[in-house]
Amino acid sequence: MTQKLQMFTLFGFVSTHDALAAEALLKDMGVDVVPVPAPKSLGQLCGIALRVLPEESERASDLLEAAGIEVSAVGEVMDR
Amino acid sequence: MPDRIVYLDHAASSWPKPQEIVAAVAESFDVYGGNPGRGAYAMALATARVIFNARRDLAKLLGVSDSRNLAFVPGCTAGCNLMLKGLLKPGDRVVVSSMEHNAIARPLNFLAEAQVEVEVVRADPTGLVDPDVMEAAVRSKPTKAVVCQHASNVTGTIQPIADLTDIAHANGALLLVDGAQAAGHLPVDLETLGVDAWSASGHKGLLGPQGVGLLYLAPHVDAEELVEGGTGGGASELPHQPKTRPDRYEAGTPNTPGIAGLGAAARLLLERGEAQRAEEALLIRRLHEGLLDVPGLRVLGPELGEPRIPVLSAVHERLPADEIAFTLDRRFGIAVRAGLHCAPWAHQTLGTLESGAVRFGVGYGLTDADIDLVVAAMQETCR
Repeated sequence: MTQKLQMFTLFGFVSTHDALAAEALLKDMGVDVVPVPAPKSLGQLCGIALRVLPEESERASDLLEAAGIEVSAVGEVMDR
Repeated sequence: MPDRIVYLDHAASSWPKPQEIVAAVAESFDVYGGNPGRGAYAMALATARVIFNARRDLAKLLGVSDSRNLAFVPGCTAGCNLMLKGLLKPGDRVVVSSMEHNAIARPLNFLAEAQVEVEVVRADPTGLVDPDVMEAAVRSKPTKAVVCQHASNVTGTIQPIADLTDIAHANGALLLVDGAQAAGHLPVDLETLGVDAWSASGHKGLLGPQGVGLLYLAPHVDAEELVEGGTGGGASELPHQPKTRPDRYEAGTPNTPGIAGLGAAARLLLERGEAQRAEEALLIRRLHEGLLDVPGLRVLGPELGEPRIPVLSAVHERLPADEIAFTLDRRFGIAVRAGLHCAPWAHQTLGTLESGAVRFGVGYGLTDADIDLVVAAMQETCR
């Protein structure tokens, strides 16, 4: 069965280290996060972006800001 | 040759390695073969997480609150080169102790030819740097950096790093530290010590594999990178090396097996490091006591009972150091190192530049029985 396409929010980072720090934090906080290849459209970033559900993006953003992890770009992507 | 090796060259490289560390290195070949940070597929991510976790755990071990300030380097020598050549420019002045290893002395000799003024401050006969003498040298002229080892690879002397930090900072200078012999053998809290840069080997007291080391640069320390190149990811369009840490100092594919092993070592030392250090202190004291009774032998460095890392060197009034080391190896299976230990400045300070010394480096895996065997072998060799 084919899953329907849906919108996700993407967070981009300047380094792999920051992307993995963000991934670890969000997972610890129960956010459903998936590392994906960063699309070129997201800018000059490290190659890993984090994909989260749109309804969790605001909370994820707040958690990252509170932890001092800089999000360098935010975008959207249609995915399954 | 005896079947069993009694290994007392931990100051050069620790051996054997704990099985957890061997297993972590093997796992990096078997499971995490992807290139970290060079892709977002599952295996590259797994590799990148191994490195991320290793950095996190080493930061915890060394008292670094933001692990991005720890860079993986090929070894302590590479880290020392980076902190010296990345910070010192023509016209700068540096004050350095006379106990330094060639990992510091040679880059400084190179920089001296590039118009960096290098003033060497003589340590006392036990190898200890006197903070008052260092302060007088620093105050005499504007100084960019004070450079000192954390502990001596010849005498085991522990240097007063916290005092030197205060002296450097009070005079507007940085404190740059060669931590090769301290890492793993001493409790180290870099942010409490306040050092500006600190380099360490992964394969000595930290018990990791050879070929990987660490460089801590405090957040305000803007050392120029010495190597530019790929750092992975999608920032490839940038024409120059990114300033982002740790990428700035880690161009090229990292030594993943080495880092995996070093991460496992950090976790082991977080759990058992205090007990290991206590054991080492007892072993080196036992060795020191035993060697004091060997006829004609003079132990260098701190007196018995004074603090030292588990390193001890000695000279004999009649027998050359190399002859003692050869006999210990061939007759007794005891591995020690004779010579100048890549530290001619230190031997010049100690008055042993011509003779060299026999060095005993104690560490993981040794027992009281091993130490007693070494003492007995020295008694026999030096009769």
